[in-house]
Amino acid sequence: MYIVIMSRVAVVKYFGDFLGEKFSVSVYENMIKAGIGFVAGNLSLNEYFKQLFPGGAVGIKTNCLTPFNATPLNLTEAFVNILRENAGYDENDLIIWERTNHELKKAGYTLNAASTGVRCLGTDVATIGYDRTFLNSGKVNSMVSKILTRMIEHNVNIPILKDHSIAGMSAGLKNMYGAIHNPNKYHDNNCSPYAANINNLTPIRDKHRLTIIDAVKVQYDNGPGYAPHSIDSYNSLIISEDPVAADCVALEILNRIRARNGKKSLKELGREVKYLDEAEKLGLGQANIAKIEIGVLAIAEDGSISEGKLF
Amino acid sequence: MDRRKFMKFIGCGACAAMSSHSGLLPEFLGGVQNACAFDYTRELSSVEARYYKKLPEGGIECEICPRRCRITDLERGYCGSRENRGDTYYTLVYGLPCAVNIDPIEKKPFHHFYPGTSAFSLATAGCNVNCKCCQNWDISQSRPEQTENFSLPPKDIIDLCQQRKVPTIAYTYSEPVIFYEYMYDTAELGHKHGIKSVMISGGYINPEPLGELLKHLNAVKIDLKAIRETYYKDYVDGELKPVLDGLIQIKKSDVWLEIVYLVIPTLNDSDDEFTELARWIKNYLGVDVPIHLSRFYPQYLLKNLPPTPQTTLDRALSICRAEGLEYVYLGNIPSHKAESTYCPKCGEMLIERRGYRTSVSGMSKNKCKSCGKIIPGRFF
Repeated sequence: MYIVIMSRVAVVKYFGDFLGEKFSVSVYENMIKAGIGFVAGNLSLNEYFKQLFPGGAVGIKTNCLTPFNATPLNLTEAFVNILRENAGYDENDLIIWERTNHELKKAGYTLNAASTGVRCLGTDVATIGYDRTFLNSGKVNSMVSKILTRMIEHNVNIPILKDHSIAGMSAGLKNMYGAIHNPNKYHDNNCSPYAANINNLTPIRDKHRLTIIDAVKVQYDNGPGYAPHSIDSYNSLIISEDPVAADCVALEILNRIRARNGKKSLKELGREVKYLDEAEKLGLGQANIAKIEIGVLAIAEDGSISEGKLF
Repeated sequence: MDRRKFMKFIGCGACAAMSSHSGLLPEFLGGVQNACAFDYTRELSSVEARYYKKLPEGGIECEICPRRCRITDLERGYCGSRENRGDTYYTLVYGLPCAVNIDPIEKKPFHHFYPGTSAFSLATAGCNVNCKCCQNWDISQSRPEQTENFSLPPKDIIDLCQQRKVPTIAYTYSEPVIFYEYMYDTAELGHKHGIKSVMISGGYINPEPLGELLKHLNAVKIDLKAIRETYYKDYVDGELKPVLDGLIQIKKSDVWLEIVYLVIPTLNDSDDEFTELARWIKNYLGVDVPIHLSRFYPQYLLKNLPPTPQTTLDRALSICRAEGLEYVYLGNIPSHKAESTYCPKCGEMLIERRGYRTSVSGMSKNKCKSCGKIIPGRFF
C-alpha cells in the first residue's frame, strides 16, 4: 500500500511577465524547483530526488486528451531537464507517455519510440499494449499499460487542471484513466469510486512518485473538451507526493475559480468530486484539506521566492 | 474481392475466432500484428450514430441502450465504441469488424433456424455490459483501437455471402447493439439481396431502436443471463428488466427467437431460479420458444469457479421440461442427447446433432414426419 509520509502540497504561482499564453521551459523549471523545495522539507533538491528516484526508468504521464488544452511541452521538458540535472538521470531512462501516439502528436509532442533518447510514446505502439493480466480494485477490473507495468520503475503524473462534466474535476487521479484499457467502463456516479480504485491498482499505486498539476490556464467549466471561453489564468503549478492531497488542493482552486467566474459549485451542479474521499479510504492520500500542509509560493521572474496566497 | 483474397480473409477470421474461444488469441491488445491479417486497418470510422440527443446544457445522451450514457466532448460511452465530437455522436466501428468467420448456425446457437446452414459471423470491438463470464472479453471489453480491425463495409459482406453461398449473416461474438448502424445497414442491404440476418445479443437495447432493427432481422438469440436483477447488477453491470421487455417485444414481432441461459455454478443455478426462468418464459413468451441451457467454462473474471457440472444441467433440463417448455437444449456439452430436437408430441427425434454435425431426418418441411406436429421455427 502507498504510504503517505507527508501530505504537503506546494502551490507555486508565477508573477513574472511572460509572452503569449505559454510559460517558457526556464519559468517552469524555476517553478518546479521551488515547489519541490517545499515538498522536500529539509532535503536538498538532489538529496530529495535521489530518495524519490533511486534508479530505474521514470515515466511522465501527460494529459493530452484535448490538443489545445494538454500538458504543455515546456512543462514536461522542464521536468526532464531537472531529472537529468538534479537526479543524474540519463535521457534513455525517461519516458513521456500517453494512451495513444495520436494524442501526443496532436498535442505537439515529437514521438520517439526508438531505443535511445527521451522516449515519447503511447500505449498503442504496436510492440507495447496492455498487460494481459486483469488487475482488480473494488469494482475496477482492468489491464494496465505495459509502459507502466514493464517499462518504468517510477511514475510522475503531470496532468492539467480542468473541469470535467462527469467526474467534476480532471486532475491527477482522473488522468490515470489513461493507463487502463477500458476507461469507458468507469464513468458512472461521477467516476466514484472508480477514479480511486484505478489509482489503487498495484502498478499505478506503487509506482506513483509525484504529481505536478499544471494550473496555469484552468478550464473551469465545460470540460473535458476544449472550451476557450471557459479558461481563466491561475499561473500555478500544484506539486505533491500525495496524489490525493494534490487533487484536493486542485479542487479547492477549481471551485474558487468557478466562483469568481460566476459559476455554481460542482456540488450544486450534482458533479461533486466524491472519489477523493474514496481514495483516502484506500490509503492513497489525504482528502481532508484541513490536514494538508499547503505552501503557497510566489515566484518572480528572477526566480526569487516569497510567500503567496491561494487567491 | 477475388476468391484468393477472400479465402485468405476468411482464414484470418477463423484463426481469430478459434483462438479467441480457446484463449490462445495473440496479444492483439495494443496492436501486436496478426501475421495473416488482410485489409487490416488502424483507422476508426466516423459515421454519425443513430439514437442520441443533444442536451441543452451541452453534451449528448445516447439512446441506443438503457444505460443512456451522457457523454461530453471527446468522451465515449460505456461501450467504448461511440464518441462525442463537438456534440455530434459517432460510431467508431462502422464497417470495421475485428472478428469474422463462417460458422454453423448451430454455433450461435440456433436450433430452429434453418438447421445445418452456415452464417457469415462478425463482430466489432466493444460491449454495453461487462459480464464477468464473457468468453469473448478480449474483443467485447476492448476499445476499437485496441483490436485488429478489417475494413469490411456492408456491400462487401453481401458480396462475400453471395460468393460463398452463405445464406445468413450473424452479428455475434461481442454485442451487436453497440455496432447498431453497421448491423442495421448490412441487414437492410442483405434483405434486398436475399441474405438473411440474425442477431446474437444480450438484449440490452431500448425499444425504439430494437423495433426498427427487427424490421430487417430474421432471427434473434438473446442471452438471458439470469432471472434475477441482483445477478445483472453484480455480474453483468446491467439490468434485467429491459432484457425481459425486449424478449417480449421480439416475441411479438415476426422475428424468430431463441434464448440462451448460461448456467454458472453458485451464481444462477438454483432450482428456484430454473423454475422462475421456465415460468417466465412460459407465461410471457410461450412454451415453444427454444431455450439453450449452456455449460459455463471459467473465463475472464470468473476463473475462480469450476465448469458447470453436468448434473446441474440435467437438473435444469428436468425443471424446464417439467414446467412445460417444449424445446429445451443443453449447450457446450458435445454429443449430449439434449443437443438434438425431439417432437414434443410423439417424442421422435427430428433433428440429430453431434457437435456441429446436423441431420434433419425426422421432419418434412416444418412438420414432424411421425405425427405431423408443426414445429415452430424457420425450416426449408
